[in-house]
Amino acid sequence: MDTILIDGRSIPFEPGENILQAALKADIQIPHFCYHAALGSLGACRLCAVEIKPKDSDKAAHVVMACLEPAQTGLEVSLSAKAAQQVRRHVIELLMVNHPHDCPICDEGGECHLQEMTVACGPSYRRYRGNKRTFPNQDLGPLIHHEMNRCITCYRCTRFYQDYALGNDFGAMRLRNEVYFGRFQDGPLENPFAGNLVEICPTGVFTDAVFRQHFARTWDLKTAPSICPHCSVGCNTLPGARDGTLRRVRNRKHQELNRWFICDRGQYGHQYSEHNTRPLSPRVSGTNTDYRSALAAAAREIQAAAERTGGIGSVREDLEGNVMLRSLLNDLKGIFTAFNDPELETATLTAVSRMQELDNTPHLAALEQTDAALITGDLTFHAPMIDLALRQAWRNGAKLAMLHSSAAQLTQFASTAATIAPRKMHDMLTQLYRQISRQSGANDAVTQTIKTIAATLSQARQPLMAGVVETSTAQDIIALAELAKALESTAQLIYVLPGPNAYGAALLSAAGETVTLLRAAERGEVQTLIVAGSDPLSEPRSGARWRAARQNINTLIVLDCIATATAEAADILIPVAAWPERSGTFVNYEGRAQGFSTVFHRPEYLPSTADIISEISHLLGNPLRDAASMLQDSFPGFQAPAPGTPGAHISAQHLPIQYSELIQTKSHSSNNGWQAALASWLGDDPLAGFSPALTKLAPPNAALINPESAVRASLKNGARVRLWNSVSSVETSIQINPSVANGTVAIQRSILARLGIGHGDSVNLEQLV
Amino acid sequence: MEAILTRHLDQDNPQNLAAYQAIGGYRSLSAAFDLKPEKIIETVEAANLRGRGGAGFSCGMKWRLRGADAPSPRYLVCNLDESEPGTFKDRYLLYGAPHAIIEAVIVSAFALQAERAFIFVRGEYAKGGHRLIQAIREAETAGLLGRNLGGSGFDLHIEVHLSGGRYICGEETAQINAIEGKRPNPRPKIPRPSTHGLWGQPTTTNNVETLVNVPHILINGAEWFRRLGINGGCGTKLFCVSGKVKHPGVFELPCGTPARELIFKHAGGLDNDERTLLGFLPGGASTAFLLPQHLDVPMDFDPVAEAGSRLGTGSLIILDDTTCPIETVLNLTRFFARESCGFCTPCRDGLPYLAQILTAIATGNGSADDLTLLDEFCSTIATQSFCAFAPGAVMPLVSSLKNYYEHYEQHVITQRCPFDASGKEAV
Amino acid sequence: MTDIDTLQKDLANLPPDHPDRRAAAVPAMLSLQSETGYLDDAAIEKIAEVTGLSSTEIEELATFYSLIYRRPTGRHIVQICDSVCCSMRGADQLLTAAEHYLGVSLGNLASENAPTVLPSICLGLCDKAPAALVDGEAAGPLSRTLLEALLKRLQTEE
Repeated sequence: MDTILIDGRSIPFEPGENILQAALKADIQIPHFCYHAALGSLGACRLCAVEIKPKDSDKAAHVVMACLEPAQTGLEVSLSAKAAQQVRRHVIELLMVNHPHDCPICDEGGECHLQEMTVACGPSYRRYRGNKRTFPNQDLGPLIHHEMNRCITCYRCTRFYQDYALGNDFGAMRLRNEVYFGRFQDGPLENPFAGNLVEICPTGVFTDAVFRQHFARTWDLKTAPSICPHCSVGCNTLPGARDGTLRRVRNRKHQELNRWFICDRGQYGHQYSEHNTRPLSPRVSGTNTDYRSALAAAAREIQAAAERTGGIGSVREDLEGNVMLRSLLNDLKGIFTAFNDPELETATLTAVSRMQELDNTPHLAALEQTDAALITGDLTFHAPMIDLALRQAWRNGAKLAMLHSSAAQLTQFASTAATIAPRKMHDMLTQLYRQISRQSGANDAVTQTIKTIAATLSQARQPLMAGVVETSTAQDIIALAELAKALESTAQLIYVLPGPNAYGAALLSAAGETVTLLRAAERGEVQTLIVAGSDPLSEPRSGARWRAARQNINTLIVLDCIATATAEAADILIPVAAWPERSGTFVNYEGRAQGFSTVFHRPEYLPSTADIISEISHLLGNPLRDAASMLQDSFPGFQAPAPGTPGAHISAQHLPIQYSELIQTKSHSSNNGWQAALASWLGDDPLAGFSPALTKLAPPNAALINPESAVRASLKNGARVRLWNSVSSVETSIQINPSVANGTVAIQRSILARLGIGHGDSVNLEQLV
Repeated sequence: MEAILTRHLDQDNPQNLAAYQAIGGYRSLSAAFDLKPEKIIETVEAANLRGRGGAGFSCGMKWRLRGADAPSPRYLVCNLDESEPGTFKDRYLLYGAPHAIIEAVIVSAFALQAERAFIFVRGEYAKGGHRLIQAIREAETAGLLGRNLGGSGFDLHIEVHLSGGRYICGEETAQINAIEGKRPNPRPKIPRPSTHGLWGQPTTTNNVETLVNVPHILINGAEWFRRLGINGGCGTKLFCVSGKVKHPGVFELPCGTPARELIFKHAGGLDNDERTLLGFLPGGASTAFLLPQHLDVPMDFDPVAEAGSRLGTGSLIILDDTTCPIETVLNLTRFFARESCGFCTPCRDGLPYLAQILTAIATGNGSADDLTLLDEFCSTIATQSFCAFAPGAVMPLVSSLKNYYEHYEQHVITQRCPFDASGKEAV
Repeated sequence: MTDIDTLQKDLANLPPDHPDRRAAAVPAMLSLQSETGYLDDAAIEKIAEVTGLSSTEIEELATFYSLIYRRPTGRHIVQICDSVCCSMRGADQLLTAAEHYLGVSLGNLASENAPTVLPSICLGLCDKAPAALVDGEAAGPLSRTLLEALLKRLQTEE
């Protein structure tokens, strides 16, 4: 390999790398500000000055910027040369001219890159005698605090926000030493990755507004590697806690997943664990009690019910909790499922089985290399970091085709986009399949959209099919997989699953058990129901049925760390540790098992789900073995991946892939033919819903319809309407939005739940007079 | 000497198309279309036409190096964003003969086979810009622009871009950003605009004065052009003389005309005959001071460089012995600090710092340490900035520390400005 | 139909990421400003709508340029050069005189009819130093008396 010499040390480099990149890889810390591995070189800060002496050249040694100088074989580089040191010292001195000397009270102190660089390169005393420049700050919303006086104008923030995350509501204003980074007017940053400004800023201009409210010095924070529990991507995180409370969550670098960044839900959703409604004390029949009594009560009810016990695990419960609950139910000969909605179970199992079958599900870094993608549904709020990876693919020239029923942010980067009503998605995908595989049935009658998408995908080097399980039927999922198969073998397939451990939950679930359990409950055959980390009563599609079935259940035992409707309705409520308070394993959308550590303990005693199930099994007199052994039974050779490692693909038997016969065909009757679609947003997951910082950003809870539907139904923007079905009725107002499909009304999860319907189900809509 | 470029300039009543054609305007088009583009470039290179915008690079060579095989679309940018303090020659061309500019752009675009040309006019010259747009409409109506212009088979569209106003927009790559509607920060040196300019396509930028020479070269030949100069110079040059002289103005004279002739003959000498010359900036604000001993240096690119400065835009700013050189340098430094685009640290934060130190010295609050500071920071700013703006900005300051050091010392020792008899109060 | 409306129509047919949209931003701002004198927040939002860029993207440009005014301007604008040649010939005193005459600091409006006086970088009028642009027309060499007369005329004329 080619090498350069840095102060006498031989450093290898790859073709195309500059001196700074080569040095940083070899852990030689050339001071720098504006360079960032994700953003590349800029050449604005001028800090990375080094002296070079070109090989075989009589040119004198001279100072260059390491980030702009290509590495060339034999190049002699000196970091320690006097001339280079002087430039670095001057640059720091100039940057400090206007920087406030507020380090002792600055919330960036201790993790401030500027502070480190100043200590490393700069003069210890200031010579500048003038006044400092001052700026007003802006209100950038509940996530980011703005402190412009600290700015050193490295442009990292705008390069991240505009160039990388493709946001357009934040930028660089003015010029000279008055460059101002902010928005046109005060207001919350709109990009779902805005929180990364906190880390991308080398000093304290952008700080975590949530962390500030309950601040701790960085060196006082207890940290340990964790995994984000807010979606199925499995971003690596580093929660920080102090005095028994969780203060903040930062991204932790995973080379193949989130790398330097994290989405705002991941960064700010953690407030659920400090929410004032969080259950911290066991409760039996509405009365607080201790764990011993609660567990004894639970064991009594389970013993009484015996095989009439049911268990619902969760897509957001770790592998350990799910496997213990399943084992308990196995021993009792009761019914176990990890899902609370039959259709979601079928869709998830179908998706996992198809990803197993194709065995070509890319990680995020690989996604960025995709050159064409077909995306069905909204990725932005179901798997934000997959969206961010596709934004990079788009920057690299990828063509994105979008089929969606309700608003989806990625459409602004789509080369082709079409709104498709939920129940027409399958037909659309089938037509696309025929067009691509040139099957009979492919004809000139297909729309231009289909032709364009088919051509884009067929011509791609490595096309990607990406779907969202929560807003797809099993048939849609199968169709998307068949599309991938019809394309070249290089085609990649991603399904966004409905929770951080949905993949693991699917592996532990037997097909059809959810509907079996639900029906049994409806028939009064479930005497005791154990629910771990799940909220069946709020489930959009099945919630109404579960709420009705609840009447037949004698004892509802709930294990959770948030105050869900199901937890509120529990006869026995057993609080469990939140994710940073326990260790465990999640399996992400790729099938990658990742371990997380206990970061800290709250003052209250809060065991994990697995611990509680184990305790109960002891009380029942039939102790379960530990979760690790149980997991080895299910997954041969399973070793829980150590937290902080890249994780490992879980070796599991492939799920059977024929699920289509299990799909119930619902009678979709509706007098005026509206279909409901899920309108997602940033705080739209069960945990993040308890984060005040995120819920402040919630969009108005309206009924979104497109202009054409509005004209047909004679509805105006803002019109008050009633959405109703046999279960319930909800009043809301109309918002006209062209990103919604024809005949579709897009509503938030909470309204779906009240109506007891899911994405694609029928709903009636009438104007209120 | 007969004026070439300024012969028909009329600031108050510039020729319309008919009048311009009556005095021989647009004659160079047929001369150009008779030649192959490569031949035109060869002629321009042989004429040794050097860039009048300040850099002095050979125009013909620049055109040749872009390559005839550069992918289409190709762009030509005529830089009329004259903002260098002391420089007002392009204003004469714009207000005096818009059709001469259009003619020059047409033949140059033909040589480069550029199908779209932009004339970037500084916003302060908006009135002239509007006249230019009028003239372009006239030319379009007459078939001198647009598809198959003048029956040549060549297509060209000229657009006037009126600047929103900033000195940095005169920088080649900042100007490209400005035309594209991006913030006009300069771009990295690599890739070059000749391959990746406007919208990533081959782009050639020339100063307007450079371009208006081209039609004359095509009509009269390279040799004729070379002979127009004296003392080794080629062609004529629009020299600006301003500052402490009797008759400031634009003078078209042979390239290589000595400074003494410009200042004392054409500009009428110093304001006040009792005064003596302290020195002058030979090429606009971003050049080094020359002293009375340099009065006989021929005003041409190489001789001025040998004397330690730059010909720049050929704009002489004259200081007499009542002008405080530190005050002058302070004014220039403030100018550049104000106009810095804010992209790189040495320029953005260094120039205001220098201005602050100079203010202290000029107002009698300076110290000997300040002189060291100036020297120290200038060396970093001059060598480590992102673009050529800041190195140019500190040039007068650096040269003043050399040429007028005793003035600095005097300010520091006496704690007052010796040029200001009344004694200014500290600000 | 105003220039800005024409531009809006021209751009409407272009795809959202067409480079001409961005390229039209500064011309659109100058065009709108020629009608309104300056660009208030609503004007920035209008330009954003016309070009399809965000209001922040427009503001990034508006705040960079010296000739795009984000604060109210008078019916007339006087730009007084404060660069080297004019400064040698007393530009500083002209600027002080203007402030004194108007009773407000540069850039501010004394009254509804008052002209806006702004310091400017070199106007390319060094042969007329000390010089100014009055509504885009060159004026110079100026003296304190001439400037005050000029301001008076601008302030009182209908």
